[in-house]
Amino acid sequence: MIRISDLVFAFPARSVLRDLSLTIQESLTTVVIGASGIGKSVLLKCITGLLDPQSGSITIDGDEVVRAERKDLLRIRRKTGMLFQEGALFDSMTVFENVAFPLSYHKMYSTAEIQRKVQAYLDLVGMEEYAHAMPRELSGGMKRKVAVARAMILEPRYLLYDEPTAGLDPSSSAIIEAMIMRLQAERYITSLVVTHDIDLTRYIADRIALLEDGHIVALMTREEAFREGSPVYEHFIENREKIRQEKVSEGQ
Amino acid sequence: MAREKNEATGEWLHAGKSATSMYGNFFYWLFREPFPIRQLGNQIVLVMLDAVAVCTVTAVVIGLILAWTAGWNGMKFSVVNWSGAATVYLLLSEAVTMFGGLIFAAKIGTAFTVEIGSMQLSGQLDALRLMAVEPVQHIVIPRVLASVICLVFLNMISQGAAIVAAMVAVRWWFDVSFTIFLQHVFQILRYPILTNSYIRSAIMAFFVSINACGLGFYFNGGAVELGRTTTKSIVLNFIFVISIDCLYGVMDQLTGWSSI
Repeated sequence: MIRISDLVFAFPARSVLRDLSLTIQESLTTVVIGASGIGKSVLLKCITGLLDPQSGSITIDGDEVVRAERKDLLRIRRKTGMLFQEGALFDSMTVFENVAFPLSYHKMYSTAEIQRKVQAYLDLVGMEEYAHAMPRELSGGMKRKVAVARAMILEPRYLLYDEPTAGLDPSSSAIIEAMIMRLQAERYITSLVVTHDIDLTRYIADRIALLEDGHIVALMTREEAFREGSPVYEHFIENREKIRQEKVSEGQ
Repeated sequence: MAREKNEATGEWLHAGKSATSMYGNFFYWLFREPFPIRQLGNQIVLVMLDAVAVCTVTAVVIGLILAWTAGWNGMKFSVVNWSGAATVYLLLSEAVTMFGGLIFAAKIGTAFTVEIGSMQLSGQLDALRLMAVEPVQHIVIPRVLASVICLVFLNMISQGAAIVAAMVAVRWWFDVSFTIFLQHVFQILRYPILTNSYIRSAIMAFFVSINACGLGFYFNGGAVELGRTTTKSIVLNFIFVISIDCLYGVMDQLTGWSSI
């Protein structure tokens, strides 16, 4: 379980997270939803120890992340995999080498074993045909699938997704959505997804946390979130419709 | 205006801080396991392939220019037979090493800044950290060590190319035979001139590559900032190359290490 308590993070010129508290339940998909630039990616970076918050606590299976020693942090990070916004694949390596990299770097398996494992994970995300392609030859959706395979190859307990469908066309988004659902169903991975994509949220979320003004203002199930009158419904569906109608009438 | 001035000063301070931080980080990670031997091999090949042509061509051009100047002035003072030796002395003691350092800073230094800066921008450095791989160890150390090794070899190749160019030039333009050219060259050539130029190259490569990697590594911003950071990398490294050359020359003069 990931437990975040009273987290405070600020850049020198801007406060981002203020007393944020949230618990990520095991084997469920929790979606943190909020407007762009509100601090969703910062939250993920704090959870993985890439950013140091000013105060507060983050524990992963009881291990404290905030101000952890480097060797402890490395151990904790092995429990988490992360999908970055653009995939963050290594440009100079093929798809196969990208996915194999964590295993070969840490010399965890023999070459034959690495070959077998990488093949299995590429199959899992449907990218086995592209094993020898370079990242520049892949579309945005394909890059993210490969990035998921790479994040999963160390068999983490938690998978963190940073805007997994941002900038993708609807069909690529649907493929990513289906993949997240499948990983959840087949591998019981605990997923934390940050996004502003309401359609993705509606499809994959077990629990939805609404991030506003630097803290979680509402935490609810999918059914509760999409019920008329809920904060998520008001913020992302009613509000969107209202703005759309205003713009249409302005145009007329 | 004042705001722009402050911003520019702030950017340069950040650049200085980035480069300085990288020196500490480099030595901290240099002696920690695992040593990135494979990446070092890859980088040596990449750096050599990337820089050998431009360094050699530059050295040939410098060899031709110096040979022309030395031969022309040699004719005026009736010592044209010594023009080859004078050219070679200038090439080995100063010109090839310094111009090689400048070309290396422009070609390889900027490539490091842009490459590592883009990795930072696209989250690749963070991805490495999440895989329990330290980016300084995996990315920076191989590049710095490869630069030090390669610039010494590039300097040797460039010196050879420049000497051949000068030899052909003085034969062609001033009718100085190859035998006379080589006789005079061996009369003035001393071992410390060569070792000095290799030591100077290694020092230049070390500072240029660490500055370039540091600027990319601690880069923060978007495409425009990456462009500005790259410019800073060139300017900072040119200043470093010229300063190292100058300081080393002064120390050489004071100690008389390579005097002939």
